[in-house]
Amino acid sequence: MTRLIGANALIVALGVTVVGLLLVTFGARRQRAEWVEAGYSATYLQFALVTAATFAMIFGLVSHDFSIDYVAQVGSRATPLYYTVISLWGALEGSILFWGWVLSLLTALVVFWNRDRGGKLIPYTTATLLGVGIFFQILLVGPAHPFGLVSPVPLDGPGPNPLLQNHWLMGIHPPLLYLGYVGMTVPFAFAMGAMAAGEVGDTGWIRLSRRWLLGAWAFLTAAIIAGMWWSYEVLGWGGYWAWDPVENASFMPWLTATAFLHSVMVQERRGLLKLWNLNLIVATFVLTILGTFLTRSGVLTSVHAFTEGNIGYYFLVAIAIVLLLSFVLVAGNSEKLTSDGQLEGTASRGSVFLLNNLFLTAFTFTVLVGTLFPLVAEAVRGVKVSVGEPFFNRMTVPICVALLFLMGVGPALPWKAADRATIRRKLLPPAIGSGVALLVALFAGTRDVFALLAFMFAAFALVANVGEFVEGARLRMQQRGESAPLALSELVNANRRRYGGYVAHLGVVAVAAAITAASTFKTEYEGTIKKGESLKIGENMAVRLDEVWGREEPQRAVIGTTLTLLKNGREIATLDPRMNFYPTSQQPVPTPAVRSRPTGDIYVNLQAFQQDGSNATLRVIVEPLVPWIWLGGMIICCGALISMLPVPGAARVRAAARAESAERAPGATTPVTAS
Amino acid sequence: MTAVMVTTSAMGQSVTGATVAVDTVLDRRTREVASELRCPVCQGLSIADSPSELAQEMKGLVREQLASGKSPEQVRAYFIDKYGEWVLLAPKPEGFNLLVYLLPAALVMGGGWFVWRYVRRHTDTPAEQV
Repeated sequence: MTRLIGANALIVALGVTVVGLLLVTFGARRQRAEWVEAGYSATYLQFALVTAATFAMIFGLVSHDFSIDYVAQVGSRATPLYYTVISLWGALEGSILFWGWVLSLLTALVVFWNRDRGGKLIPYTTATLLGVGIFFQILLVGPAHPFGLVSPVPLDGPGPNPLLQNHWLMGIHPPLLYLGYVGMTVPFAFAMGAMAAGEVGDTGWIRLSRRWLLGAWAFLTAAIIAGMWWSYEVLGWGGYWAWDPVENASFMPWLTATAFLHSVMVQERRGLLKLWNLNLIVATFVLTILGTFLTRSGVLTSVHAFTEGNIGYYFLVAIAIVLLLSFVLVAGNSEKLTSDGQLEGTASRGSVFLLNNLFLTAFTFTVLVGTLFPLVAEAVRGVKVSVGEPFFNRMTVPICVALLFLMGVGPALPWKAADRATIRRKLLPPAIGSGVALLVALFAGTRDVFALLAFMFAAFALVANVGEFVEGARLRMQQRGESAPLALSELVNANRRRYGGYVAHLGVVAVAAAITAASTFKTEYEGTIKKGESLKIGENMAVRLDEVWGREEPQRAVIGTTLTLLKNGREIATLDPRMNFYPTSQQPVPTPAVRSRPTGDIYVNLQAFQQDGSNATLRVIVEPLVPWIWLGGMIICCGALISMLPVPGAARVRAAARAESAERAPGATTPVTAS
Repeated sequence: MTAVMVTTSAMGQSVTGATVAVDTVLDRRTREVASELRCPVCQGLSIADSPSELAQEMKGLVREQLASGKSPEQVRAYFIDKYGEWVLLAPKPEGFNLLVYLLPAALVMGGGWFVWRYVRRHTDTPAEQV
């Protein structure tokens, strides 16, 4: 029954989506407002149907309905409820279903918030969203159908992949990632809609999609950081980023979206880079699809590769269609995409944004080339090669250093041409800050050139961005007599977009400094110790093995150790690194013990143990500042949130603009907002 | 989002009970070579990072060979011989592999030139005014 509801909801949803696409497209072309309205309603119906299918799947999982092949593939009666529910995204078919559901939700929301707007922009934007929706629904009724019938019905299933049921973060990381990925579809749809409607010359589509983009970017940021954290907490190697293809796949659209967030300001302020910005948006969307293709088709193996099969061809065709359509639309709008503005001076913020885009694009390209190179090398030379961490570090660390530097220079430079005195006044404090950082890093024993540069420019960017807050707040205190906290909050309130950006910069500084410190000053200790013995960690710390124990859980067997952390001989903490044995996996899944302090982590992984419990092999990694990576990620998201908050007074302007556009005849081209 | 390469970490030896002399130079060289070799049973981790048993054994082998006087190049050659070129986490910069290094560099240079021209063309200086 559940299976039939789900399967039929998906088939009907595909039909509804196709009809909706035709209605909004031809309604806009022929100026038939009632067709467009009907098409809008179809998006709500589509959302309802995909929601029904998604809930049918969750119900199937929770009720252990093994007649559904997806449930038979990832379900098990022994799996705890939480992991049963989140196994919705634990394998290919379920994750495509979840993707389709998020997309249908966002489509309905875009329509809900913008349907009163006149003109052709929203109908064509909706058409794009529905077009992408059709792609996922074709996957769902075809190669990734999750509701196939299993006969005879098995009594139990294998449960989710052990790696996916070993940590609560698996309930957080994937939904964040899908919200980020799918969210990038919305700005893409606005861009395509604007091109189809011939409205790409003004910044209306950019303003409409700004919050969507920022929201998707924040989700993607959070997802990447949560993924790093998961890797750190589950894989037992004490690292958080391995340049795994799927990590790269999530990082590339983040880079291009970050580039867009900056370059779009050049278009808004100076009327430049119109074509470039469109390219970035299309690239961001294509990279989300490409990433899914690379990691889900089994072309590249990765922690996240679910299955192999012919689903890859569907993705390739989709990418080809997207590229072709964008090319045709860009070509058709070429005369509207000419730059009509000027930068004001070589040493201005505009130029820094161009460099920022250069390096972010180079970063994306490096990651793309590195990720695809094994495929190319195998095709051309017939030899398997690896492109991993040493390659990516060598190639991208210089780019990161350059970006850190620009992150300090950009906020300090004005849009207008800066004179020497201003440049000197603005850049002196950051320069002093980086000098201090250099001395501290040298004193602490850093000798690697790039690590030194990273510390220097992180300090540079830190001082420059904090300086913007200090200077702005001080000015308000002088001119308006406000108290310091009031001046600071009013400063941010008055220009949330700008200061939200600076907050995000501070988060990036935290992440960059933490990663540099963690990789520079990381120390490892490994040893096999008997019960009662201690393993020395550095000068004054040690872990003592108190006990090796085991316990049976319904879905797994756990072997753990109880350790006492000693500092100068004093007991300061108890740690319990474990190994988890799942029936479906030959390799145990580790649960390292992590003791976090603001200064850094002590990370203990159980590597091996004696069957009789007499000894255990431990690997202890001391990792300075690692918690600041997670904290920095949160700061970045806070920055995005501040930038997204509506500017006071803007709501009124928008309402007025909407009232104005509603007065015009439907189908007429209207400017989108007045500013 | 990227990790700066470990260069200064002095890896501690396991010390149980009695103090063991710590050969930091060998440790560091082992770590350097091991961080460039791929663990065959993991997902893209180096044998320096991987907690797997095989990686631990391979790391021990690297250490032994370095201690016996082999050069890092000879150790790498041994592993390439055994597992193929695939075992190197960064492709050797020679022949066709040069592409993966040169393409990004070419983009930075070409892009840099383009940005330079773009800024000059779009800057408000009377001589350049279009």
